[in-house]
Amino acid sequence: MHWIALQPLPDATGPQGDDDAAALIDALAALGWWALQFTPRVALVEGAVLMEVSASERLFGGRKPLLDKIYKKNKPVALVHYAQAATSLIAIARLQLSQSASRKPDDLPLTTLLAARPHLPTLTRIGCTTWGQLRALPRGGLVRRFGAGLVDALDRAYGAKPELYPWLELPAVFEAKLELTARIDNAPALMFGARRLLAQLHVWLQARQRGILALELGWELDARRQDATQGQLVVRTADSTLDMAHVQRLLAENLARVTLHAPALYLHLRSLETAVLPGTTTSLLPDDVRVGDSLHHLLERLSARLGADHVLRAVPFADHRPERMQVWQAASPAASVFATNSIATHAYPARAGVQKDTSKQPKNNAKLDAGSDALYPTWLLTQPLKLPVRNNIPQCADEGGPLTLLAGPQRVEAGWWGVSEKDGACALRDYFLARSEQMGLLWVYQERLGGQGRAEGKTGAGADWYLHGLFA
Amino acid sequence: MVNTLPQIACVGFCLRNILIFYTVNMAKPLSITFAREIPSVWRADELARPVDAVVATGHAALDAQLPAGGWPVGALVEVLQSKNNLNEWRLLLPALARCSGPVLLVGAPHQPFGPGLAAQGLDPQRLLCVTAQTTAQRLWACEQALRCADVTAVLAWLPQGGSGQVRPEQLRRLQMAASTHSKLLFVMRPLAAREESSPAALRVLVSGQGSGQEGLALHILKRRGPPLEQPLNLPARAARLAALLAVTRRQVAAPPVIIDKDGDEERHEASHHAVVARITPFPGHGHALDRTAAAA
Repeated sequence: MHWIALQPLPDATGPQGDDDAAALIDALAALGWWALQFTPRVALVEGAVLMEVSASERLFGGRKPLLDKIYKKNKPVALVHYAQAATSLIAIARLQLSQSASRKPDDLPLTTLLAARPHLPTLTRIGCTTWGQLRALPRGGLVRRFGAGLVDALDRAYGAKPELYPWLELPAVFEAKLELTARIDNAPALMFGARRLLAQLHVWLQARQRGILALELGWELDARRQDATQGQLVVRTADSTLDMAHVQRLLAENLARVTLHAPALYLHLRSLETAVLPGTTTSLLPDDVRVGDSLHHLLERLSARLGADHVLRAVPFADHRPERMQVWQAASPAASVFATNSIATHAYPARAGVQKDTSKQPKNNAKLDAGSDALYPTWLLTQPLKLPVRNNIPQCADEGGPLTLLAGPQRVEAGWWGVSEKDGACALRDYFLARSEQMGLLWVYQERLGGQGRAEGKTGAGADWYLHGLFA
Repeated sequence: MVNTLPQIACVGFCLRNILIFYTVNMAKPLSITFAREIPSVWRADELARPVDAVVATGHAALDAQLPAGGWPVGALVEVLQSKNNLNEWRLLLPALARCSGPVLLVGAPHQPFGPGLAAQGLDPQRLLCVTAQTTAQRLWACEQALRCADVTAVLAWLPQGGSGQVRPEQLRRLQMAASTHSKLLFVMRPLAAREESSPAALRVLVSGQGSGQEGLALHILKRRGPPLEQPLNLPARAARLAALLAVTRRQVAAPPVIIDKDGDEERHEASHHAVVARITPFPGHGHALDRTAAAA
């Protein structure tokens, strides 16, 4: 058995006054979570954290490397002082007498034994001031005079009885609160406090071996100024992560768009969703280690700043209307598609086979071109551009001269079944390849039957012309 | 630094070499081939030696004129083109189709049309479109994308003039990011940028008026090597489309014959502007445009 007792020193920068006790309990819990990375046997006793490390010594390569790790390499965030001993009670006693760390158990003063504290006046009057003196008294008399508790404690302190504590367990949901040291008026400045909470969250996630998927950062405002007294921000990430730098960037991007109506006083952080962290496969070869962020980190960062509807990817959709052949979706939640490299080969109308070929053999151009999609343009205008018509000839926009129709028509007649907005508008069009001296090769169409399925509409010469694509 | 300014570095080398040449010359005569044998000396009349990986452009004529025979990976490539005559896909698509991994489009002028791109070998699901209004946002998005390990190529469209003016140091930042993370980076800029200095390793000016109207005329404004006087003509159309256009061009040259309702042969009137294109069926799937079609 090897026990280590830790106690956080009162934080000089922390809040003072009435909340001191509460803050200390928080700090103690945080310290306890930190201690859980070394051993599962952690207990919070008498304002100290007790950890029993003998069981995990071998994992860390012996007692000395383990103690090195605890004392030097992997220090907790707060300032602490340590004491160690073979039993927990001795460790606590040594913690209280920090200046004489290596005093023998027999020489320890009785004030450091919790069970002896109620009887201290009596014991002092009979001249018993150290553990050794108390232990020398007859057991039967001690039990009759002071109760079994004192003798029990003495037995446990000397290792004659096992020490059992209510071991610390991590809560299922992370929730932490922070009182801000100063009133904060602008939202980005909340990041300073949030960073501290994130460090705590990191410890909690590490101990639970989970990654964060969604979290909520909330703040409480000064109630005297406004009606709205609190606000919150929910941040989600596509892949469960332990990378607090990424979460921090996402929070910062989102906070940059928040306006605080009154100074913020408190900050709290709550985990909404977590997932078991998948192990990472490491490579033997140094070349395989790629430098840089992963794609979903990038997409989330872009979406956070520019807005999710500004970072898009196309999903093929089976329709004959060109504007509906692909649906634009926000890219960030689907980022895992790229990560797993399982790009679904959806069907563009009736040509799934060609699609599959494109991903695998991009060099086989002749085969690819054989598909009739080769006659589609590469740019599509979001809104078809209405072309002026002179002498029944469509003209290029901006006085660009007449268009020469090269090939066509390719008739598209779709969407007549549409009843709702979702189905899109009816398209009765004749598509042509056209050349403009100025703009090069264009994809234009003429509305048939006056468009929109109006049967009585004008046909042929008078119908409207639109520019819909560019062969760029 | 050295990577992006090889000319200067090489000129430095040359100067040093001449100095050595001079000093050694005092002692004993030295043949001029001496300079040719040193591998690290770049001679001003040849293309720079490959420093980084390249991706073949897919146009043989262009490959022959580029250092190491392809688009440089990890360097800024500037494509200058008129706003009204876009040609970026014809130029870049073969190279993009060759590599795998996501391609980020920042500030694209229109929607990329998936079926059309897929037919030429670029999987549209690899494309990620970032729309950003201001130049600053576009530059930021580009830089973030270049830092991402998964992204293969970044295509950015940067406007010119007004408040959206791109400063050379901003481009230089992109160039640095591209070279640090070895990414393909193409920046599309308008023609007005031609007169400005640029940190790009390669600058090309593209226009659609190549030979026979269908080619791509390419001026290489800057490359690591001697300047190229003559523009390149690239026959950059998908084979299928090129075949269709070749047929229609013949038809337009000799106005097509239309059989009238009465059965009389009639020369087609230009004002009526109808075109009959008879195309030999292309092997593979059938398509509406492959059959005889008349536009009234």
